[in-house]
Amino acid sequence: MPTTQFDSILERREAAMLGMWLFLATEVLFFGPLFFGYFHSRLASHDAFVAGSHHMHFWLGTINTAVLLTSSFTMALAVQVAQDRGRFLRLLLLASAALGIAFLCIKGYEYASEIPEVARAEGPEQVFYLLYFAMTGLHAIHLTIGAVLVIWTAFISARRAIRVEVLGLYWHFVDAVWLFLYPMFYLLERYSA
Amino acid sequence: MMRLALVWLALLALLAATAASSFVPLGGWNSALNLAIAAVKALLVALFFMHLSSAGALLRLAAVAALLWLALLFGLSWTDYGTRGTSPAPWALRR
Repeated sequence: MPTTQFDSILERREAAMLGMWLFLATEVLFFGPLFFGYFHSRLASHDAFVAGSHHMHFWLGTINTAVLLTSSFTMALAVQVAQDRGRFLRLLLLASAALGIAFLCIKGYEYASEIPEVARAEGPEQVFYLLYFAMTGLHAIHLTIGAVLVIWTAFISARRAIRVEVLGLYWHFVDAVWLFLYPMFYLLERYSA
Repeated sequence: MMRLALVWLALLALLAATAASSFVPLGGWNSALNLAIAAVKALLVALFFMHLSSAGALLRLAAVAALLWLALLFGLSWTDYGTRGTSPAPWALRR
């Protein structure tokens, strides 16, 4: 009788999920200082943040949020399909990755068009742009890693439901980070823009 | 499937609400409202897309522990920044 570290399949599944949740907890603390820096700087120089926010592309940011929410939806469907051993798993995974890449393309276009504004920025507004690029950039790196892993999983190991589930957790986490970044950078006093 | 689709529609509706609300002048309440909506959206994602609503106690604890640590570190950092003035470094004084 071979011995393993798990008593049951269920326990093995929970261990994998716990591992990912613990990793996500460290990710929360990884992003945390940037959020603290944002709130501290914003309280110190509110007007500069409003001025910086008015240079953001409101519609591109809003569309991008919808794109990311939809990618989370297709990822949630993929997890469900993987658990039920249903059809279209690879298609759903690739759709999620494609939406993630679409997000990155729109973001890249935004970055390119914002550079002239950034070069003109002075004083506390520079802090706004520093935080903007650091936080959305760190988010974009996470999304890039996620997209690569999703494509990899779609072609290599999509049959193992637990892999898809754990990857789904990571994908949804990255989505949730953006849900906070969007109002913090795009929506400051839009009515006075 | 049906429930996931409903959550997705709710998330898009909240996105529309937060985007629209930023055009209504509410002063400081704009940010409060936007962050509250973001928190609700993140909660929907965590509960239904990340299956926390049907997860065991262990996974829920891991998720809440992350927020607890974040709150502790925010609190400790804030006691520092909130109670001290900033003194410029010696080399920053020369102008």
